[in-house]
Amino acid sequence: MLKIKNIHKSFGKNEILKGVDLTIDKGDVVVILGPSGSGKTTLLRCINFLEKADSGNASFGDLHVDLHAASKKDIHSIRQKTAFVFQNYNLFNNKTALENVIEGLIVGRKIPKAEAIEIGKKALEKVGLSDKYDSYPSQLSGGQQQRVGIARAVALNPDIILFDEPTSALDPELVGEVLEVMKNIANEGTTMLVVTHEMSFAKDVAKRVIFMDGGVVVEEGTPHEIFVRPKEERTKKFLKRVLPEDYTFYI
Amino acid sequence: MAEGLNYTFLFDTFFIALSGVPIALFVTIVSMLIALPLGFLLALTRINQVPVLNRFSQVYVSFVRGTPIIIQIFIVYASIPLILSSLFEKYNMNINVYDVNPIWYAFIVFSFSTTAILIEVFRSALNTVNKGQLEAAQSIGLSNFQAYRRIVIPQALVVALPNICTATVNLIKATSLGYAMSLPEITLKAKVAANVGYNYVEAYIDIFLVYIILCSVVEYGFKLYEKRLRKYKYIAA
Repeated sequence: MLKIKNIHKSFGKNEILKGVDLTIDKGDVVVILGPSGSGKTTLLRCINFLEKADSGNASFGDLHVDLHAASKKDIHSIRQKTAFVFQNYNLFNNKTALENVIEGLIVGRKIPKAEAIEIGKKALEKVGLSDKYDSYPSQLSGGQQQRVGIARAVALNPDIILFDEPTSALDPELVGEVLEVMKNIANEGTTMLVVTHEMSFAKDVAKRVIFMDGGVVVEEGTPHEIFVRPKEERTKKFLKRVLPEDYTFYI
Repeated sequence: MAEGLNYTFLFDTFFIALSGVPIALFVTIVSMLIALPLGFLLALTRINQVPVLNRFSQVYVSFVRGTPIIIQIFIVYASIPLILSSLFEKYNMNINVYDVNPIWYAFIVFSFSTTAILIEVFRSALNTVNKGQLEAAQSIGLSNFQAYRRIVIPQALVVALPNICTATVNLIKATSLGYAMSLPEITLKAKVAANVGYNYVEAYIDIFLVYIILCSVVEYGFKLYEKRLRKYKYIAA
C-alpha cells in the first residue's frame, strides 16, 4: 500500500537518509528501531512532507509522487491518507480535546460539524477519554495529551498512521496507557508505522521490525528474526545495549 | 499665578478638549486598521526570511524606531504637499494641495510609524507559538492559511495583545502631535481655547485629564478582550 523508494535527505552537509526503501502493506504494524541520529524520525517526517526530501519516490496505492518535487495538490492528498502522532503531542493549545480531534475533519476534510463531533467523541472514547471532551491541553497529563493526539489521528480514518516516538516525552508511569491504546488500534487492523524505543511494543505488536542505522536500513524482518536471530553485527550491538539480559538488573 | 486657577475656564475647556476625542480616536482606529494587517504580513516576511521584503522590514523598523514621530510628521507634512503640487502642475490639475484636510497626513504618518512597531510585536508573538502547532495542523490536512487563521494566530494574538494595547495607547497619545499639522484634535482644541486669555495651565490640565480617561478606557477594553482570548490558558484542571 505504501512504497517508499530511495529516499535521500541531508541537513546542510549532514546526510541523514542515504537511500531508504520501505514497503508497508495494508494492516501491517511496522516498527522502526535504531540509535538516535539514525534517521528514523526524518524518514517519517519526509513521508508526511513535514520535511522535504532531497530525492525519492513514494507510491500510495495508485498515487505516485516525487518526494522532492511534489505539487501542493499531491502533498495535500498524501496528508489526507496519512496521520501523524508527534513525540511532544503538538495538540492545539487553543482548542479543547474534542475540538482538537474534529479540527481536521471539519476544516481539512469538510465533514459536517455534527457528524464530525460524533466521530470525534467516538475516537476519544476509544482512547479512554470520554470524560475529557471539554478539557484544554493545559488541563491534561502528558499521557492524556498523547492519547488525544492518537484520537486526532484515528478520527481521520487514514490509510496509515505515522507514530514518531509517541512515548519518548512521557513520564515512565504514563507510557503504559499510551502503549495500551496503540495496541488496541493495532488490533483493529490499523496500518501503523511506528518509530519507538519501546522494545516490548516492537516484540508484541509489530508484524515487521526495521533496524536503521546511519541513514540506511540495516536489517528487517519479523520481531522474532530481529530480536532472537539478528544477522547483522550492528543490530546485535544495538540490541545488546537496549535489551538487558534476562535476570540481570542494571542500576 | 496670583489669581489662582480659572475654574470656569477649566470646566468649559474640558468639554472643548473632549470634543477633540472623536478625531483622535478616528485617526487611531484608521491607522490601526492599516497597521495591523500590514505589520502582520511584514512580520511574516521576517519570520519566513522572504528574500527582499525581510530586509525591507528590517530597515523600515530601524528607520521608524530611530526617528521621533514629530520629525516624521514634519517631513510628511512638508514634503508630500511639495511632491503633490509638482505632480498636479505637471498634469495641469487644478487642485490646491494646501486645501487637503490634515487628517490625511495624520493617517499616513501614524499608520507608517505604528506598522513598524507592530512588525516587532507580531514577530515576537509568532515566535512564541511552537513550530509543532503548525506542523500538526498541516499533518491533519489544513492549508497554511487555515493553520495560521485557526491555530497559530489565535495563540499568537494572546501573547501580542498586551503589546498591541501599549501600541494603541501610545498611538492615541501620539495623535496629540497632530496639532503640529493643525489637526483639530484634543491638544490643538484646548490650546486654541487657551490662547484667548493665556489660560495655558488650565488647558494643559484638561488635556491631561482627557488623555488619561481615554487611555484608561481603552486599556480596560483590551484587558477584557485579553481575558476572553486567553481562557484556554489558565483554567484550573
